[in-house]
Amino acid sequence: MQYIEFKNINKTYVSIRALKNISFTARAGEVCALVGENGAGKSTLLKILSGDIQPDSGSIFIDGKEKHFKSPQEAITSGISVIYQERQIVPFLTVAENVFMEELPIKKNQLIDFNKLNKCTQKIIDDFNLPIDPTDRVNDISVAYQQMVEIMKAYRRNSQIIAFDEPTSSLSDSEIDMLFKVIRKLKEEGKVIIYVSHRLKEIFQISETVVVLKDGVYIAKVETTKTSEQELIRYMIGRDLGDVFKSLRRNKNIGDVILEVKGVNSDRVSDISFKIHEGEILGFAGLVGAGRTETMRAIFGADILNSGEIWINNKHVRIKDPSSAIAEGLGLCPEDRSSEGVIKSRSVKENISISILKKICRQGFIDFKREENIIKNEVNNLGIKTPSLQTEIIELSGGNQQKVLLARWLVSNAKILILDEPTRGIDVGAKVEIYQLILDLASKGLGIIFISSELSEIIGLSDNIVVMREGRITGFLKGEEATEEKILTLAMLK
Amino acid sequence: MKKIIKKIQKNEQVSLIIILIAIVCVFTAIQPNYFSVRNLINILFSASIVGMVAFGETFLIIGGQIDLSPGAVAAFSGVLAAILLNAGVPMILTIFIVIAMAMLIGYLISLMINFLKMEPFIVTLAIMSVFTGLAFIIGGGRSIPITNKSFIYFGAGDIFGIPISIVIFAVIFVIFHIILTRTRFGRTVYMVGGNEAASRLAGINPKKIKTMLYLITPVMASIGGMILAGRMNSGQPTAQSHLMFGALTAAIVGGVRFGGGKGTLYGCLIGVLLLESFKNGIAVLNVQTFWQNVASGVLLIVALSADYARTARNK
Repeated sequence: MQYIEFKNINKTYVSIRALKNISFTARAGEVCALVGENGAGKSTLLKILSGDIQPDSGSIFIDGKEKHFKSPQEAITSGISVIYQERQIVPFLTVAENVFMEELPIKKNQLIDFNKLNKCTQKIIDDFNLPIDPTDRVNDISVAYQQMVEIMKAYRRNSQIIAFDEPTSSLSDSEIDMLFKVIRKLKEEGKVIIYVSHRLKEIFQISETVVVLKDGVYIAKVETTKTSEQELIRYMIGRDLGDVFKSLRRNKNIGDVILEVKGVNSDRVSDISFKIHEGEILGFAGLVGAGRTETMRAIFGADILNSGEIWINNKHVRIKDPSSAIAEGLGLCPEDRSSEGVIKSRSVKENISISILKKICRQGFIDFKREENIIKNEVNNLGIKTPSLQTEIIELSGGNQQKVLLARWLVSNAKILILDEPTRGIDVGAKVEIYQLILDLASKGLGIIFISSELSEIIGLSDNIVVMREGRITGFLKGEEATEEKILTLAMLK
Repeated sequence: MKKIIKKIQKNEQVSLIIILIAIVCVFTAIQPNYFSVRNLINILFSASIVGMVAFGETFLIIGGQIDLSPGAVAAFSGVLAAILLNAGVPMILTIFIVIAMAMLIGYLISLMINFLKMEPFIVTLAIMSVFTGLAFIIGGGRSIPITNKSFIYFGAGDIFGIPISIVIFAVIFVIFHIILTRTRFGRTVYMVGGNEAASRLAGINPKKIKTMLYLITPVMASIGGMILAGRMNSGQPTAQSHLMFGALTAAIVGGVRFGGGKGTLYGCLIGVLLLESFKNGIAVLNVQTFWQNVASGVLLIVALSADYARTARNK
């Protein structure tokens, strides 16, 4: 295996042209990064590579041989493995059974040869130098190791081309290091690695070349050592982003304490105390699994609070469920937007008004006019781009879906907003809009709790920063004195 | 013309109505008596009982739930009503007791689902089994004759030639349609069915909604069961084993999305009419009645494949 070439790939969905004449080559022993905003066509290209969908025209060449994959199986036999963001594993089976999924070793009597299976898997685990056991159940190991199981599966298949789709989106920094070690090993063995990611920093750490796509069009292929983040962003959005955070409008009027949390304990976090003022953006930093989301769920009444007090406007309040939290002026935009935030099958309008059903109803009957007016107003205020209020929310882009969730809490007059990873999976341009929106809301006097795993965001937006590790708060930093190094030290070191 | 076809493809209700009209035309062509007032009323009558339960199931399915027990509860209700009436309990009180019993069953189901976190499918399967058995046990396994004139009137009587049960059915349709489309409760049902976790984080109490939902189907089933008992002058333990299948089939044929979050009551109504006019046609043509089951199964598959094809295209 020497190289894989994409030649004149075209793909059109119902009315949208997803890919236009995409051509480029990736070579063995090279990590080729694929970047672009959401909707640039990266996922479509990966799906074509994996045989999941077929291009309208164009072909893939492996070592000069033309290939047309009609199914994922054909792609696999041609030596291609794609590792998606969503795990493709069977959670109740063991590591070994997942690694050898479609080729379990069989004894003469047709039963599975578990000895051989576990031995072969152990050998691969040793090659990768991982602290897991072939007989571990996959749903008992962490997300990072689950991903390793998939990589081991690709390795076991002897795939020569391995593509990764946003592999680090749910990994902590140390786990990312582990992943990169494995990727480098695969690269040294002469495999072609295609690496799709939003995170530019990682691309500079891991890749040799970068292919940039924009709106389904191939823009450029550059050598990683000869480019810069600014240049890539310029290619991706077609303009220079400059220093995003400096260009945002801020109006800093910090008011009185609006929320105080005293000694909160839940099953997942201990001894959480902090304060937030009107107009303040309080960043929550930490590694994945540090307990930030769990802290907020406990405060919001989504998880059980074992002990501790919550004070809002200097009044001790009891929050027994999300509904009582909302009544006290809280609002939560959850981390997992698609499974806990939006109601996919329903309209933009219904997704917003869900928080104010009581307010827009008279004797149990919905006042449709009132609902429409309130929603229309907020949709205009936030600049939500939607064909109509009746459009199903799932048809909107990630950024606009996030705005709909913000609108949900603005119509309910929330005074304290908890935003858990509000820019996850949102493209660069829309991110900036969300940043400005968050700052504008703070200027209006809302207290904003801002959880993010992107340190630049936390530093760029927050007035004050809380750092968490293993379910506890490990430090407070003022926004102006915070650096990535300081935060990471508090987040990682014991 | 193309535009009209496109619109039809997008709107499943329109395509269902076309299928309904086609069915009626075909059967009328073969057997002109099919389109007689008397037979149409027959169709509506059988539609009315399945329909009441189907409306209940529509609420549940939209809310992401399911109830397999209505057939058993209907049979049990019919037998219980007959026993109470024979024991000299006044009709109004009988109806009241039977409905109260149905609500109790629904409440029990909701407790098991909300607090023991049991799967609705399994809970209601168990309840179905229990009440299928109890319907035989409380009446000694026989059908129990009913002599109460006014009770029979509810099942077999009519107003200006329209059977009472059709009138009740129509009233329930209007009320349920308004509840589903215009009230806070109806909106909440869609939300919980669309995404229970997200609804909870947006301030809705899904447990409360589920409790209310599980009251609806048993009550509809008990009303249906009593009307049928009135019509047959007896409470029969075997009466309604097919009721649950018919109701679920009708709702899904009518475009209520299995899994929750989507569906309409008029879609369900068309689904009920479609199924019943088909079944009736087969009976009118003197085809063996066993073919009714085959036909409704086939219809369900056709409806679902049309639905999947449509969503696949819209993607």
